[in-house]
Amino acid sequence: METMTEYPIPPEAEGQLPSEETVTGKASRWLLHRYPLWSTFRHLADKTVPKHRGSAWYNIGGIVLFFFTIQIITGILLMIYYRPAEPWMSVQRIVMEVPFGSLIRSLHHWSANLMILALFIHLFSTFFMKAYRRPREFTWLTGTALFAVTLVFGFSGYLLPWDDLAFFATRVGITEADKVPLVGTFLANLARGGPEVTLDTLGRFYALHVMVLPVVSLTLIGVHLLFIQIQGVSEPDSFAALPPEEKKHEKFFSEFMFGEIPIWLALSVFLVALAAIWPRPLAPEANPAAAAPPGIKPEWYYLSQFQWLKLFPGRIEMVGMAILGVIPLGIVAVPFYDRAIPSDDRGRLVTKLGLFGLLALLILTIWGALS
Amino acid sequence: MSEEQSRSPSKRRFLGFLGLGALGTFWLGFTSVPVFRFLSPQAPPDPFDEQGRAVVLDISPAEVRNPGMGKNGGYGNRGLIVFRTAEGELKAFDSKCTHAGCNVAFEGDQIHCHCHGGIYDLEGQNVSGPPPRPLTELGVIEEDGVLYVYRLDG
Repeated sequence: METMTEYPIPPEAEGQLPSEETVTGKASRWLLHRYPLWSTFRHLADKTVPKHRGSAWYNIGGIVLFFFTIQIITGILLMIYYRPAEPWMSVQRIVMEVPFGSLIRSLHHWSANLMILALFIHLFSTFFMKAYRRPREFTWLTGTALFAVTLVFGFSGYLLPWDDLAFFATRVGITEADKVPLVGTFLANLARGGPEVTLDTLGRFYALHVMVLPVVSLTLIGVHLLFIQIQGVSEPDSFAALPPEEKKHEKFFSEFMFGEIPIWLALSVFLVALAAIWPRPLAPEANPAAAAPPGIKPEWYYLSQFQWLKLFPGRIEMVGMAILGVIPLGIVAVPFYDRAIPSDDRGRLVTKLGLFGLLALLILTIWGALS
Repeated sequence: MSEEQSRSPSKRRFLGFLGLGALGTFWLGFTSVPVFRFLSPQAPPDPFDEQGRAVVLDISPAEVRNPGMGKNGGYGNRGLIVFRTAEGELKAFDSKCTHAGCNVAFEGDQIHCHCHGGIYDLEGQNVSGPPPRPLTELGVIEEDGVLYVYRLDG
């Protein structure tokens, strides 16, 4: 069999690598002889981020990623003591007996909520900066898919403690899905593993929450980040219109990244404070025969839909659902409708619709929280 | 010109790097404590109650009524064997083999470990095969139709 030839070190690299006598010089040449990665390194090292008044918004994606990392770490830790066969008992043990168990669980809860909040901000900031336009349509689509995956993450994780709040909230949520025409009952039964929410449902949610969704989201995050690394972040129209000499940039590695680390540290302090001051309570164990506790409400990120559907009682509920169903379609379609750079009439219409959507989301969420 | 402004960009960058590194290390150190404590094993519950006794599980007095009868059972979350010798004495041993931790079995005139062929006599002494030490003997009594074991070493 023919042995594979090694790659030559590009002449440009020779000039920039550390001297051949040093350990790092030797190691980098060793690597480059085997894997032709120089152009990749060059690309990453040359990558810049535009600096302008709105630059702070570029940090939000990294903040989402930070909370996601916290979710992975605390999630793995919780899995060590969580038992899907006796869910409530095992969570009670985590809270009552395991050292720092309540803290780890509360961190998982708060980090999940902050991640979803950051994701909302990321979605809206990229939307209003019109970052979805050509050539970033696919980055937008992977992002919206990640948003959907995150909502399922939240819904599936909410059931796992198996307390009565979780039980009835899940029952209500799936019952709503059950009412969707054509596919609703099929999907609801698939999610529940039958006509009722039982421990069989929990088994499904558990597998989804700790295995399926992490694999799917890590893959999507990889693609999403790869696209962003290849193309760089988008420039808002006002920045793109500047003459080249007035455009300021900073290097992604390492100025931008180092700028993000203090944000992450501050957020982790904030997160620990939230978890310590407001630990996540564990309600009494789910009892399928008992009356639902009063004031059952979905988590805040589902409140707007919940409140919206309350506006369409009884037979006209379908109308409310149909309108809700159009929103994700619109989000997916927006890069293919609003394409002009700089913005034209379509672009301005989309911005107005987005503002209207954001306003509706805020009003319905606050209304839902107060009612 | 203040000292801050006179610093070269590379020096500032180095100091920034150092500061972030220190903060990051501090942060990591702080977070590793709860994680380490969360992961550290918890002491198993003592199988013996306040009177120093533990109920024998899965063995009734009738199953060790006559000489030569014996059975594997449990106490707490551990295994044991209870048997009656030819002389009529009721004996109990923790069944964890001192060699590699399998549960031994009572076989009439000896105690045998199926995993690696270790053999103990009815006093729990390791007589052949790989076991390095005798089995741990437990005291055993019958009270109101229930068997109890207790620690012999005080």
